[in-house]
Amino acid sequence: MPHSIAIIEDDPAIGANYADALTAHGYAVELYADRKAAMAALQIRLPDLVLLDIGLAGEPDAGFGICRELRSQSATLPIIFLTARDNEFDMVSGLRLGADDYVTKNVSLPHLLARIAALFRRAELGSAAASGEDVLTRGELVMDLKRFAVTWNHKPVDLTLTEFWLVHALARFTGHVKNREQLMAEAHIVVDDSTITSHIKRMRRKFIAVDAGFDCIDTVYGMGYRWKADA
Amino acid sequence: MRALPRVGLRGRLVLVALVLLVIPWAGYSYIKATEQLLREQQERQLMAAARAVAAALHDRPRLATLREESPDGEAARAEVRALVTGIARAGLRIWVVDNRLQLIAVSGDIADHTVVGPDESTFGIVERVVRAALRPLLARWLDAPDLPAEEFIPNDVVFGGREVERALDGAPSLKRRPGPGGSAPIVTATHPVWIGETVVGATVVEESTAAAVSFRDRAIERLIAVTLIAFGAAALVLLVFASRISIRLRRLRDEAERAIDSRGHVRALVTGGDARDEIGDLSRSFSLALTRLADYNAYLEDLARRLAHELRTPIAVVRSSLDNLRMKKLPEDATVYVERAEGGLQRLDTVLTRMAEASRLEQAVRTGERERYDVTAVVAGCVAGYASAYPASRFNLKLSPHPVMINGAPDLYAQMLDKLVANAVDFAASGTPVEVSLQLRGTTAVLNVGNRGPLLPQNLRLFESMQSVRSTPLQGHDIHLGLGLYIVRLIAEFHRGRARAENLADGSGVRFSVEIPTLVVD
Repeated sequence: MPHSIAIIEDDPAIGANYADALTAHGYAVELYADRKAAMAALQIRLPDLVLLDIGLAGEPDAGFGICRELRSQSATLPIIFLTARDNEFDMVSGLRLGADDYVTKNVSLPHLLARIAALFRRAELGSAAASGEDVLTRGELVMDLKRFAVTWNHKPVDLTLTEFWLVHALARFTGHVKNREQLMAEAHIVVDDSTITSHIKRMRRKFIAVDAGFDCIDTVYGMGYRWKADA
Repeated sequence: MRALPRVGLRGRLVLVALVLLVIPWAGYSYIKATEQLLREQQERQLMAAARAVAAALHDRPRLATLREESPDGEAARAEVRALVTGIARAGLRIWVVDNRLQLIAVSGDIADHTVVGPDESTFGIVERVVRAALRPLLARWLDAPDLPAEEFIPNDVVFGGREVERALDGAPSLKRRPGPGGSAPIVTATHPVWIGETVVGATVVEESTAAAVSFRDRAIERLIAVTLIAFGAAALVLLVFASRISIRLRRLRDEAERAIDSRGHVRALVTGGDARDEIGDLSRSFSLALTRLADYNAYLEDLARRLAHELRTPIAVVRSSLDNLRMKKLPEDATVYVERAEGGLQRLDTVLTRMAEASRLEQAVRTGERERYDVTAVVAGCVAGYASAYPASRFNLKLSPHPVMINGAPDLYAQMLDKLVANAVDFAASGTPVEVSLQLRGTTAVLNVGNRGPLLPQNLRLFESMQSVRSTPLQGHDIHLGLGLYIVRLIAEFHRGRARAENLADGSGVRFSVEIPTLVVD
């Protein structure tokens, strides 16, 4: 049975384009244009993944409310915010409500598909044990590449998909400087420089929340970032 | 700050106070008129006295014997003397002469017996002090003799005086002459004494005008003192009043100048906000105008943001459509159009990102966290990175040999350097290097980014939003919205520093400088 995806998007052209692309890739897609229709359908049966716009017809913040309600129904349902809003505040709000990722609408369809596929893989594998070749270990850092789970010092670090890819891009070749373009390519995003900077800041904060002495993400001014080998 | 006007409000109002000087002029005329009146009155009195004395002597048969060396003559002289003595008083001298100019009787003296009245003053002690100070000055002016020299009649020639002769000819007369030693003039009234149709003698009544002169002097003294005090007081009051208005106006002006800060943010005016006069009105209408300007600015700022946001959705439609199109099997010649469409889309996206960048940076600067960092490391790292980012350009880097610690955000500093270098690369004449230097000057970290190429026009507000002033960049590969230098300034100000742009002294190019205060020099 194909995975079902609910797209909650008030712009019919975008909704139809995404629906077509996802259908072409074998997903079962339901398209909802407003909060009422979406909530009515989703309360009956949860899809396997939700693509959610923040501003819906007449309600500028409707997406946040939907996200909160969906999260209360299911703790594991993958939710991706797909929105025209690219400011920090909305991004932080969306992620705090439990969304798995936050993508602006200038994302290309292949990037979006990669994200969706990754989230499905993570959901399917659940808590199955990781096999050896899918694990990246760098000192205290252990990355499960199948499940998109990260632990630091045996404690889980809750990263979004984008953040996971960024950490992976950095940690794969310890000590190598990755510039912003490389990072964006690896994380399947197209954003401006300051968004990368704020992603990096947020990642650092998440690691520091687990280990106050964390200092592995190094800024190389004018070049990019690198993962410092543990001393 | 502009230069102050040459004659300020204060000066003007004090000049207006000069109108008060009409007071002493009017007062002086009044005093002159009063003095004249007093003088005429005195003259009339003297004439009356002379006539009275003469009348008392008229037709006394004994007078015929006045000059005789006989008991009768002696008795007549005694009678005249008694009469004269009875009439004379202090300050009033009476002479009686016979028709051969022989003095028969004299009584009284004209020494100054002016009784000085109580020293009245309108302004009390202050006025007395001013008058005491003025007295020596006034004495010189007021005591000048006011009689023409040709009418000068010495005291000792009274008997040969024409007035006495005229009296003896039968005509009463009046004469003023200067007092002895330049003191107040003396008024002399003469009157003939008749016996029948014969003039047998003359009475001469003299009195000093000291009382009138003294009255005049004291009045002028008082007038000047009162005027000076009144003028001073009025000028002081006007000065205080004018200063208050002037200070309020100046404060209003300064506030109005600062009301719109360099980022175009508008603050409301507070000076005289609730004053119920014209300045209050001015302040309120300024505030109203500024509020409207602020609303308009907010609308414009919001417009850029909203525009970026609103355009994202149609761009997403186009992008997702193109992506869908790519997944289909397209004829060979169709892909080239899809690619061109994507190229255009990419550019549109860049414009939108730039438009949003400034407002996002403003947000970052407002909430930005600060840390201590070494600028030399940031600049060195960035310039090393530029070599790969701009392979066609050369960079000359001069770095301070010591670490330069400043307080701020290294990410933002790097972003600022990016903007300056991108700008310099775009405008550099081909083949010339971009000069980057970081030097410590005193306690200021000075970053210079210079390039050879077209000069900057004078007096332009380069560092403000949406200002792009130079003609097309030489390397021409980037979009110039005029936000780059605005971002530079935002970041410089976030670091409590400032950004400047200038043409090189030899006219070969331009240099942008950012000066940021350092923390500690390690």
